[in-house]
Amino acid sequence: MTAKAAITVLRSREEIQQLWQSSEYRPKYIEGAEAAVTFVDAPGDRGTEIHVDLEHGGQNAKLGEIVQKLTGAAALPKVKDDLRRFKQHVETRVIPRSEGSPEGESAERKFKQRPAQPLEESELQKVGV
Amino acid sequence: MRANVWSGRNTVQVENVPDPKILNDRDAIVKITSTAICGSDLHLYDGYVPTMKKGDILGHEFMGEVVATGRGVTKLQIGDRVVVPFPIACGDCWSCRHELYSVCENSNPNAGMAEKFFGHPTAGIYGYSHLTGGYAGGQAEYARVPYADVGPIKIEDDIEDEKVLFLSDIFPTGFFGADLCDIQGGEVIAVFGAGPVGQFAIASSILLGAERVIAIDQYDYRLAMAVNKAGATETINFSENPDIVEQLKEMTGGRGPDAVIDAVGMEAAHGRGPVHAYDRVKQATRSETDRGHALRDAILACRPGGIVSVIGAYGGLIDKFPAGAFMNKGLQMRTGQCHVQKYLQPLYERVRNGEIDPSFVVTHRLELGKAPDGYETFKHKQDECVKVVLKP
Repeated sequence: MTAKAAITVLRSREEIQQLWQSSEYRPKYIEGAEAAVTFVDAPGDRGTEIHVDLEHGGQNAKLGEIVQKLTGAAALPKVKDDLRRFKQHVETRVIPRSEGSPEGESAERKFKQRPAQPLEESELQKVGV
Repeated sequence: MRANVWSGRNTVQVENVPDPKILNDRDAIVKITSTAICGSDLHLYDGYVPTMKKGDILGHEFMGEVVATGRGVTKLQIGDRVVVPFPIACGDCWSCRHELYSVCENSNPNAGMAEKFFGHPTAGIYGYSHLTGGYAGGQAEYARVPYADVGPIKIEDDIEDEKVLFLSDIFPTGFFGADLCDIQGGEVIAVFGAGPVGQFAIASSILLGAERVIAIDQYDYRLAMAVNKAGATETINFSENPDIVEQLKEMTGGRGPDAVIDAVGMEAAHGRGPVHAYDRVKQATRSETDRGHALRDAILACRPGGIVSVIGAYGGLIDKFPAGAFMNKGLQMRTGQCHVQKYLQPLYERVRNGEIDPSFVVTHRLELGKAPDGYETFKHKQDECVKVVLKP
């Protein structure tokens, strides 16, 4: 199974690299995983490709597996969540939330969706709104 | 507030649920004045769309008054009267910048789920399963509208709800279907399905300059509306003669229509004998999710080199796709959920200019509490139903 993920964000490479390091935008899970991250200019007006390779980052050849053991969940979906949220945050200034997924894109939430109806006040606090 | 929720196959009910709140700076809350049941809601009702959850608020065609805005909303103000387009689009990604709003790259917070089904995520849609985001819908008293500066169009006070409500979906969707046909003038367009979207595909084909439009359906009352209100020049009632392809060829001097619009989608009814039975069985056992008669016949009937425009909703797989006819006749297939945001302003202007009055499709007006009756009436085409409007 591949341990790579990629996303394209509509910003210049310089801007993306700067935001990637900033405290506000930094993708925390990917950073913790010490994955190999590369930034490539996308063709034409398409922005910048971000490539994450979990197997070839840091000291460990099989880091993906280790991360999985550490967190109790598959690493790749979490890396993808991070990439999507980074793109959303950079491009739109917000992380989209629905009533079904009020925290925003989340691998765990994928399998236990809330019904698509508004949250009670008590729930809002729990999901961090 | 009260809202119409899905509670299993063939069951919806109006329940009390919490009022929506602002979840993001770019959200607004709209107090709904009119909302409608869409033909695609019937696919949810009938249980053919995966990832529905009990308690989901349905509805993606609605309008109303802005009653709250997040800090990041600049174009809308409290008190504005708006129609809300059904695809939720951020306005900032590459797709939105290219007016491909229904494939917005950011608005679906269940992107990982959608990717499994479609290869890529598509835009969020109000009240339309968790595959399109798990957003609460608009068959309710209030709705939360994300990216409020991007979607909603402001409506002046001197025009009634029913003339503008369908800018939310079915009028732009029908227009999009006709727009995909590259109408230059002089064409014959065939429209499969004379439901609400089909009616607008017919009317839009005429607006764009088609010479003849052939409406295809099994209900005479819908075909009568197609002729008398939408402007169809001819009709085929396939309950009288199911061989639509032969009839279309005969009506076009053997050429076939220049373009064919599929305004039917995944629950097509007109399949003949063995193939229909095959589809029903495969759909019932979930080894095929969509019945594809309309699409198959559209491909077989379309003239060589013509365009097949698909605006009827599909959710998964169909069998027996006539790939040979599609390839050898050199057809183009164009499709999508409508990029409503692109069409809102020009179509609103056509309504204001009096070029079209979209309220012609409305046959039933019900209080929101009667939504379950509305679904049954619409599903079973009782009482010559074409379009149900709900008033919260």
